[in-house]
Amino acid sequence: MQPSLILRSGRSAWKGPYFVAFPNLKQALEDHVPIRTQERSCTILPNFVGIRFMVHNGKDYIPVTVTQDMVGHKLGEFAHTKKRFVYRMTKNR
Amino acid sequence: MVHVLGVALPDMQLARLALTNFYGIGHKTAQRLCARLQIHDRSKIRDLTAQQITELASFLASPSTAPPLRRMPLASPTFQPPPASTPIEVLRKRVTELSKPTGAEPLRNLKIEAEGRRVVRENIAHQRMIGSYVGKRHAMGLPVRGQNTQSNAKTAKKLNRVNRFG
Repeated sequence: MQPSLILRSGRSAWKGPYFVAFPNLKQALEDHVPIRTQERSCTILPNFVGIRFMVHNGKDYIPVTVTQDMVGHKLGEFAHTKKRFVYRMTKNR
Repeated sequence: MVHVLGVALPDMQLARLALTNFYGIGHKTAQRLCARLQIHDRSKIRDLTAQQITELASFLASPSTAPPLRRMPLASPTFQPPPASTPIEVLRKRVTELSKPTGAEPLRNLKIEAEGRRVVRENIAHQRMIGSYVGKRHAMGLPVRGQNTQSNAKTAKKLNRVNRFG
């Protein structure tokens, strides 16, 4: 099942999706230059498909390549913000 | 004990509540189903006739292809019947117009049992395939919706899988 743009957002439908107009969008499409962004809450639009983003997770920029299936989601969903929990018992007790 | 589409419906239970035993049917949908199939609110499974049970089974087998229920609107208190000389074609036309189903039919998109489970599995697989946060949490077997994990994640640890429902 493909969730549509309207269904995905917790935002009211009449407002339309929240997105950011990236200035170097056309250049990114043609030259495959990754777009560095801290806009994690930006909705992925159909014209973003094929672009490489470097999404901020608080510390680093995670590479995200947009595909057709990702269209209704936000950029931040693909850049995890927490390190995976590993239980390592420290020697100092 | 009546068996409908692989699910046993206990005789002593109210029909409206027995329908919730299907995966994908809750109280609201069960109430709508009873209205659609014209099953009385207080009737139990043992009170249903064989015809009603076959109607129920055939409806649930494919809700989208079931014929729509005819509307049977009541006449207003000031209704004047048409004169006896009206041609029968006009009367028949009026009847068909009045009994046309109107509005949305929420039961058309009803998905039960195997289909319902498949929808859930496909949604989880979609999240995993695109590599989203939700997909990763399902793969790790941890809570997806921001619940606490320092304590109390027992249900998520038990049930959250990429291939949920086997």
